[in-house]
Amino acid sequence: MEVTIRIKRQNPEMPGKEKPYWQEFVLKDVEPTDRLLEMLHRIKWEQDGTLTLRRSCAHGVCGSDAMRINGVNHLACKVLMKDLGPKVTVEPILGLPVIKDLVVDMEPFFAHYRSIMPFFVNDTPLPEDGRERRQSQADREVFDDTTKCILCACCTTSCPSFWANGKYVGPAAIVQAHRFIFDTRDQAWEDRINILAEPNGVWRCRTVYNCTPACPREIQVTRAIGEVKLAIRRRKREGIVNTKDVVIAAPGG
Amino acid sequence: MASLALTIRETLRYRGAIGQWSWVLHRLTGLGVVFFLVIHVIDTSWAVFFPALYEKAIRIYQTPLFTLGEFALVFAVVYHALNGLRIAIFDFKPEWWKHQERAAQAVFAGTALILVPMFIGMAYHAIQHYSHDPFILPLSEVLAEQLPFLAGIVVAAIGAIILAFVYNMVMGATEPVGPAKAQGSALERFWWSFMRVSGLLIVPLVFGHLAAMHVVQGVFDLTAAQLRVVGVAPSTAEPFTLEQTAALLNDDSARTENFLNGWNDSGTATEFVAERWSAMLGPVFIWRAYDIALLALVTIHGFNGLRYVLTDYTQGNAVLRRAAGYLCVIGAIALLIVGGAALLSAVPQDAIKMAHEATRAMMMAHGGG
Repeated sequence: MEVTIRIKRQNPEMPGKEKPYWQEFVLKDVEPTDRLLEMLHRIKWEQDGTLTLRRSCAHGVCGSDAMRINGVNHLACKVLMKDLGPKVTVEPILGLPVIKDLVVDMEPFFAHYRSIMPFFVNDTPLPEDGRERRQSQADREVFDDTTKCILCACCTTSCPSFWANGKYVGPAAIVQAHRFIFDTRDQAWEDRINILAEPNGVWRCRTVYNCTPACPREIQVTRAIGEVKLAIRRRKREGIVNTKDVVIAAPGG
Repeated sequence: MASLALTIRETLRYRGAIGQWSWVLHRLTGLGVVFFLVIHVIDTSWAVFFPALYEKAIRIYQTPLFTLGEFALVFAVVYHALNGLRIAIFDFKPEWWKHQERAAQAVFAGTALILVPMFIGMAYHAIQHYSHDPFILPLSEVLAEQLPFLAGIVVAAIGAIILAFVYNMVMGATEPVGPAKAQGSALERFWWSFMRVSGLLIVPLVFGHLAAMHVVQGVFDLTAAQLRVVGVAPSTAEPFTLEQTAALLNDDSARTENFLNGWNDSGTATEFVAERWSAMLGPVFIWRAYDIALLALVTIHGFNGLRYVLTDYTQGNAVLRRAAGYLCVIGAIALLIVGGAALLSAVPQDAIKMAHEATRAMMMAHGGG
């Protein structure tokens, strides 16, 4: 099939191209099972070498090719052409400064990520065997979903609160905080909920639910934010995450 | 403000699911209701402070522009109430997120379902009114009378900006650097809970208010002579006869309390209010208590919601951000004082006569009968 791909481009270093503009590329012989990232590669390699985008693993693991595709945030490497139709629009994710074409400056996003202490804190001595701190399967389930985040920024840049206010910590940082707040082995959960209880923390979330379908890892983002809000409101972390619907995969299955 | 333009443009462009449109509508309906609340509370306080102005305000409500606005207002209130319930439910049950799209659809369906009988009732009142060749104030005058409200809002906004500018000049525009370790904002936590709890309390109160003042009796009934006053137990089986009422209005020693019998004998909006605000249930003035609860909850809920909206879009400007907070605090306090003072004051003893005179003068001026 033939596909027309409309790309929002911008090059602040090139006179005449400082402002965003749209450019169309026509691709022939597109297979329905081709992924959008491959089509962007074809444009860059066959038609216009100046097209700039970020990608690394190209398999939905590294999270570097987040972009707005047909109006919604996705990873270009995880979207099949058959799901996009013959006319495709591609533009950079919104709310972060554009560096060039589809590449945005992720630093403000990572600054929010760092602000929530995204690391394990436990100063007690290691267990007697000197190896790992053990945890029950049930305790592990509580934050299983939020361990899957790859920091691609699809969720944060789908959020109207973040578009309006870049100081809002954003869904991704809250998801990352959730992963540690609800980890029974972690001791800094109160520090984290205090950080997220600041005016530009969780309170800027208006439960628009754009972030949940935007997540390429199918993390239940809005739910995680809601659970952090409840942890802040109740000043405790026990009994907030309902794990009844979490399915534990059988060993080997 | 650039962030507001960007948000509007990109919200229209982003292909979010239904939740995004629920959010847009929640904000728009909330803003609409707050805007009307300001006009409505100030207007209604005039029943006590300036009965002549109150009569005119009600006649303004009885014009086609405000009739259309009334339908929009009732839609806004009902949608905002149901959608607010949805938000609160999912806030306390985040694990139900999978049902949120269906819940958002149910809010639209529920709104339509509730609005059908309400709109039929309201349309009945409107048709009754407009088909009997009523006295209608000209549109130009209706619009002119709204200018003071607009001017007041603009003045309040400019005042808030000046105050914020001066504060930032004196104290510095940078946000205070908190302690090295974040403490969390107890205030924001309180407001988050307050919005949900007050919302739950407002829903039954506001639905009762809508039912009484828009469906059972409409705004057109406020000036219908010899009509029962909704929610007030009449103390006489019949209203005063026209002759008795005329005698009272001409009697210099007659007082407001002489009119009170659960019927709007004089057909003035002021008597309607006086009747309601004198109704007792046991030892309490039931409608005054009801209205005080509604006023307090709705004003604080509404202006805090306004603060949420305004501060979302003013983060880029230190003066506007501070001004947004000031405007909401000033607005809420002013409205609570005006409305509260009216609700705690006695209707003056000459109010109904003044209202009657003013109505006659207004109709004479416009060649009405």
